[in-house]
Amino acid sequence: MNTRVKKGLTYLGFLALVLGSVFLAQGVGGGRYQLSHSLSLFFPSDLSPSEKIILFEIRLPRIVLSFLVGGSLSLGGAVLQGIFQNPLVDPYVLGISSGAALGAVIAILSGVYLGFFTVPLFAFSMALFSAFLVFYLGKIGKRFPLEVLLLAGIGVGFFFSALVSLGMFLAGEDLHQLFFWTMGGLWNSSWQEVKMILPFIVVGAPILFSFFRELNAFLLGEKVAESIGVEVEKVKKQLLFVVSLLVASAVAVSGVIGFVGLVVPHLVRLLGARDHRHLLPFSFLLGGGVLLWADTLARTILYPVELPVGIITSLLGAPFFIYLLRKRKKSL
Amino acid sequence: MKEYLQVENLSFSYSRRKVLDKLTFGVRRGELVGVIGPNGAGKSTLLYLLAGLIVPESGKIVLGEKDTRFLSRRMWSQKVAMVFQEIPQNLELTSQEVIAMGRFPHIGRWQREGDVDEEKVSWAMEITSTAVFSDRLFSELSGGEKQRVMIARALAQEPELLLLDEPTSHLDVLHQLEIMDILLELRAAGVAIVSVFHDLNLVSQFCDKALLLKEGRMLSFGGVEEVMKAEEVEKLFGVEFLEATHPFSLRPFFMPLRRIKNETHRGKIHLICGGGSGSPLMRELLEAGFSLSLGVVNQLDSDEELARKLGIPVVQEKPFSPFSPSTMEEAYRLAQKADFIVIAPTYWGRGNLPNLDLAERLVLEGKAVLILEEALNPRLDYTEGAAQEKLKKIIEEGGEVIKDLSVYFSSPSS
Repeated sequence: MNTRVKKGLTYLGFLALVLGSVFLAQGVGGGRYQLSHSLSLFFPSDLSPSEKIILFEIRLPRIVLSFLVGGSLSLGGAVLQGIFQNPLVDPYVLGISSGAALGAVIAILSGVYLGFFTVPLFAFSMALFSAFLVFYLGKIGKRFPLEVLLLAGIGVGFFFSALVSLGMFLAGEDLHQLFFWTMGGLWNSSWQEVKMILPFIVVGAPILFSFFRELNAFLLGEKVAESIGVEVEKVKKQLLFVVSLLVASAVAVSGVIGFVGLVVPHLVRLLGARDHRHLLPFSFLLGGGVLLWADTLARTILYPVELPVGIITSLLGAPFFIYLLRKRKKSL
Repeated sequence: MKEYLQVENLSFSYSRRKVLDKLTFGVRRGELVGVIGPNGAGKSTLLYLLAGLIVPESGKIVLGEKDTRFLSRRMWSQKVAMVFQEIPQNLELTSQEVIAMGRFPHIGRWQREGDVDEEKVSWAMEITSTAVFSDRLFSELSGGEKQRVMIARALAQEPELLLLDEPTSHLDVLHQLEIMDILLELRAAGVAIVSVFHDLNLVSQFCDKALLLKEGRMLSFGGVEEVMKAEEVEKLFGVEFLEATHPFSLRPFFMPLRRIKNETHRGKIHLICGGGSGSPLMRELLEAGFSLSLGVVNQLDSDEELARKLGIPVVQEKPFSPFSPSTMEEAYRLAQKADFIVIAPTYWGRGNLPNLDLAERLVLEGKAVLILEEALNPRLDYTEGAAQEKLKKIIEEGGEVIKDLSVYFSSPSS
């Protein structure tokens, strides 16, 4: 079979899996709406008003949001691992997670209220602020040496985390809310959150995809990349900027969800896609799918209690990842 | 023909240290220029400047009449490709994927690879013979194969100027020659090539021109045969070289000599040898600190050539001629000044038999004559026993037969 056809079919298969997942996930959950009448998704007139609300206002936005957040985090992780040429890099390496958490802490503790999106907005702003702070601190002359940038990210991250801890220590009755925010979860999802994150994805993801040749060139080392025509420092800056926006928007609506952004790109590589032309889109699709299923489990496994989704992703994902790693017995 | 690459007064400093100082030279299309020099001479820096990876402190680089100061990164990469010294590790892409990366400067961000790109990649693979393993992972290739893939990647850029930084280091002879063949083919295709080599013989054998670089200064630049002379190369590396003519390419060929460390003067030896029998002894004896004289040997004899290059006084006879009485007299006068006469295991024929008469005359005068045991081997005798007779006589008169010379080297007192 022609390799181009094969690749096309792989993409179609993945898309079908994702859509199938959405369909299955919307049928799973506590409450009155069940899988047995999943098909009602296509015949909403058969549903009672309360079922309609469960389906269209609670489950569907949550499913869509989990997919978008998972996709953004994995895509961000894949791009950053490509820039830094380091397998241990996750999308929060620029201090975005601790910045976002600090933003949430500020919003919740200060009691400022600017509408339903107060907390996401604060989280988003602080996440970007920390990313730019890391850029600024990591800059030497006109260049962004990767190791300096990484260490600056760690430094800023620790500082903001300390502030978050301080905030939680002083939080009193708000502690519960803060605690849940820092664990990450999608329980407050609505179409509003989807609307908030969607523009960043619609604009950001295609831009990131379009950088696949540059990211491939980075595999040869920065000097070689430069010699074949990649403006390394400029490209790094552009990519870091777009990734920061994308990841910050995801964190703002979901809190800090770990593991997906670090591991999914590796899963995709282990499955054979090392060329960023395929690695980036597949990371987005698989990351979305993984978080969608993890969230479905998180909200059903101990129903009516909901687990933070980060616990699920790590609990199930880590052993599977280690299994794949051992099986391949190769470097990442 | 105008030069494609013109470099004028090019200088570069790294944290106030001058790395390159006012280099001026030019390279034509279809010309292979080899850059040599000791470590730290600034060879890699020169290539980085020509590739536009670093910015010159002063001076000018002109590519095909275009001043490179106004060249975008992308345009620069469309004209100049570079093969680096380091080969990427753990690169889990197929060779073809790696080679296709060379198309980068020719493809727009939102553009797909087209037929032209495919053609150029196949062309690059054909020249470098990398098509056979195009589907294999780069990380699984051998060193020579990886280097060829890296060259193919550079060729996919369709460079007018190709830069290579020690493309043959870490490779065995066969693979070195493969790389050189590729460069020659590209030269024939009209590519201007500048390559750094650590092996000066690759430069003297294969390059059109040589650029000798020492401590950031250009020692000389020009045609290999004009520029690459033993004195120049010695100045460059601070090592003595023996210059020869490569028997096949007829280009200069350089062999480093071990520095003669032992300066103590242990005495003079006159060596009777020929046909290469003296060559190993010359080195040993010189290194042990003796001064030598030699003869008689015919011109063009390998012992004669070596002795001349080493600056040892030699009494010579015309090529393929028996030794005449006058040359024998000359040899006698030279040998008289020696403390020892050493007879090397030489093939004896009618022509060189007078050398044994010389030894006999000297031993009769009381000179110490040492005969290496192997010299007595009848297999070496092509005089139907005449040589054997003479050697026997020398021994009777006091000549000493020894297994080897090591005894005489062990301490200066002996």
